[in-house]
Amino acid sequence: MRTVIALVFLFVFSSCAFAQTTEERLEKLEKALKSQEQTIQELKALQRTVKKQEQTIEEQRKLIEKLTAKEKQAEPSGPPATAEAPQPVVAEVQQQVEELKEQVNSVAEAQQKKLPSEFNPAIGLVGETIFSYRSKDSKATGSDRPGGWDVNQRSVELNIAASVDPFAKGYAVLNASADPITGEATLGVEEAAIQTTSLPDNLELKAGRFFGEFGRLAYIHDHELPFVNRPLVLDQYIGGESRTDGAQLNWLLPIEHYVSLTAGVGDGFGSVPNDVNDNSNGNFRNFGGLSFFGRGSTSFDLTPDLSLEPGISGLLNPKTTDRGGVLAQPNGTPVTLPQFPGSNLSQTERSLEGVDLTLSWKPLSSNQFQSIIWGTEVLHSGNSYDVTPTSGGAKFSPFISSVDSYGMYTYLTYKWSREWSGGFLFQWVEDSWNNADRTFSYSPYITWALSHWNQLRLQYTYTEPNAVSGLRPDSAVYLQWDWIIGSHSHGWQQR
Amino acid sequence: MKPKFMRLLSILTLAGVLLCWGPMPAQAAKIKVVTTLTDLADFAREVGGDLVEVHSLATGVEDTHGVPMKPSFVPIMNRADLLILVGFDCEHAFLPALLEASKNPRIQMGKSGYVDCSKGIVPRDVPKSTDHYQGDVHPYGNPHYILDPVLAKTAVGNIYNALVEFDPQHQADFSRNRDAYLAKLDAKIAEWKKEVVPLKGLKFVSYHEHWPYFAERFGMVYFGTIELKPGIDPTPRHIEELISSMKAEHVSIVLREPQFPEKVPKQIAEQTGATLVTLPIMPGGIPNTETYIKMEDEIIRGLLAAEQAQKAAHAMK
Repeated sequence: MRTVIALVFLFVFSSCAFAQTTEERLEKLEKALKSQEQTIQELKALQRTVKKQEQTIEEQRKLIEKLTAKEKQAEPSGPPATAEAPQPVVAEVQQQVEELKEQVNSVAEAQQKKLPSEFNPAIGLVGETIFSYRSKDSKATGSDRPGGWDVNQRSVELNIAASVDPFAKGYAVLNASADPITGEATLGVEEAAIQTTSLPDNLELKAGRFFGEFGRLAYIHDHELPFVNRPLVLDQYIGGESRTDGAQLNWLLPIEHYVSLTAGVGDGFGSVPNDVNDNSNGNFRNFGGLSFFGRGSTSFDLTPDLSLEPGISGLLNPKTTDRGGVLAQPNGTPVTLPQFPGSNLSQTERSLEGVDLTLSWKPLSSNQFQSIIWGTEVLHSGNSYDVTPTSGGAKFSPFISSVDSYGMYTYLTYKWSREWSGGFLFQWVEDSWNNADRTFSYSPYITWALSHWNQLRLQYTYTEPNAVSGLRPDSAVYLQWDWIIGSHSHGWQQR
Repeated sequence: MKPKFMRLLSILTLAGVLLCWGPMPAQAAKIKVVTTLTDLADFAREVGGDLVEVHSLATGVEDTHGVPMKPSFVPIMNRADLLILVGFDCEHAFLPALLEASKNPRIQMGKSGYVDCSKGIVPRDVPKSTDHYQGDVHPYGNPHYILDPVLAKTAVGNIYNALVEFDPQHQADFSRNRDAYLAKLDAKIAEWKKEVVPLKGLKFVSYHEHWPYFAERFGMVYFGTIELKPGIDPTPRHIEELISSMKAEHVSIVLREPQFPEKVPKQIAEQTGATLVTLPIMPGGIPNTETYIKMEDEIIRGLLAAEQAQKAAHAMK
């Protein structure tokens, strides 16, 4: 009973409090309105003053002209000494008018900012739907996507960005990506970072969760890729996007040639949790368990229309033992060394080195209508694994296996109008735990950009794993539809 | 672990050493000015004279909204004392990213080195909504005011103010240069106003909405754009509607900016009987337009020639 009475009291008092709050809000609004009206009146008064001052100046000018004329008539050969006397007065009045004008302008400008939303950050939303057909199921392809017909709302991405203060900007990318199996969307923080804007000596520090600078396409969001899917080598060696929880320092060299160097450290590197690399973010780890990464890039203008951008990147995760976990393929199947059936692998060390090259032909006069981009990236992956037996599997003593693998992608995109472009992507990758397991992939694609914010892409992909992989060749057709609403701007990395 | 860590370190060190192998910047003697477009570069050279070193990001042939973001711009902007821009969001597609990459706090928005030449200009066509239904709309209004030579004087004034603020010791030099240039420009404006008399009331269309300020200044009628909306190519229906309205309203000139493809403007000109003329939107856009004054000369000459061609065509009929 006491509880009931207490609840009733609580309800009554909270209602009163709410009512009071509404009244207070109304009062505040009325006050704000009155204050605005007053300001407008003041503005009008200021405008009247400015007009009066301008009239005064005009009168003064006329007076000066008359005086000067009289002086000249009286003393035609003498210097106009007296005529100069009123000039300081005119200058003073002119200055007053200028000051008043400035005041009026600033007040008028302030009055324009009357909505509370003026202080909100830039917000944009990106949607990405993939319609696809795959000739084989995920068991045959090793992919996380099913075979047959499929519609996948791959992502709904909310971008938010604004200045934090005069020294930094902040941004966040929240992504609701669909689960490949269930289709259920889960909201996650893809990026949320602070980035300095005023460090001395050409330095820029970024901290938080972000896509670390590695390679050419690893730190670009899916919808900004020139083709439908992230290259296999980035998926396998990095784990998709180069997401990390950490910090990176970028330095623009103070020389006449463009050279940018970046070094960073993060808790994990790669965005797909429990993937083959298992270096995702989260959990405590020792110092050696952190991921250290870096990138250097430069550019050469070969002609006004042709430029070459080479870059090198490195990633080292010296000790991953404490990350633990058994490696699994994207479709959930545990990774096993073929020569030791039933064995489990867990990663102990990870290193990646990459070289990338982008050759761009963009005729200055028609760069929005015509361009050719040729991009290539080659990665070397060096991993060490603890190989352990499992019950029911082959019997052997645990050992460490080191694997060096290589992978690459190269693509050429030709844009022949503002709306249309097409290209071809070739990929080749050795598996990061078994370099005899190789996959080749060929993808022609065509893109129709109805506008900057609405784009359709059709892509065919033929994937051909070799016999070692135990997987089967697969044909896939994708139709990707991307759209953007709200604020959207391409950063330096997406150029 | 160690060999791999050393390998990563070696790669980064080697990259640093190799890439650092470049000449160090010369001692700054002149004011380093970067402009987004070539007309602003011309004004900066005229006002700054020998005291400034001016670099324009655009060469003149680019679209004003589509200057390619080249990494080679970054070191130039990094060392700049002043960044001079058109404003009204004209450079929204390339400048914000370049500014961020430049890591030059002196020229960031709000700093004295960020010189927005639109200060003091009353914009035309300020949109009521910035919804993308209206295309790549400019939220602050049409930014192509510099094609109007009278409004260009305001840009010159803003550049003068920025130079004086940066280097007050040379105010007298800047003042002399500015006055000389404005006098020259005023004389040309008077000349142009006489020349354009036959163009009064002449209706024309262009690919992009570059010309409303220019048309108003010289008494011409700006009829509309070939593109559907800013930044969006025309659809067949739009072209059809434009052709029929041009015929009904006797629009006699199709003005194509050299940055845009010729095919559609040519088709419209052929179907409406209008004269197609290709004219620059900034100095360097076509030959013999190295300076702003030469460019305006060329624009007026081109329009007069088009008008003459129209008269001749009518006479033939």
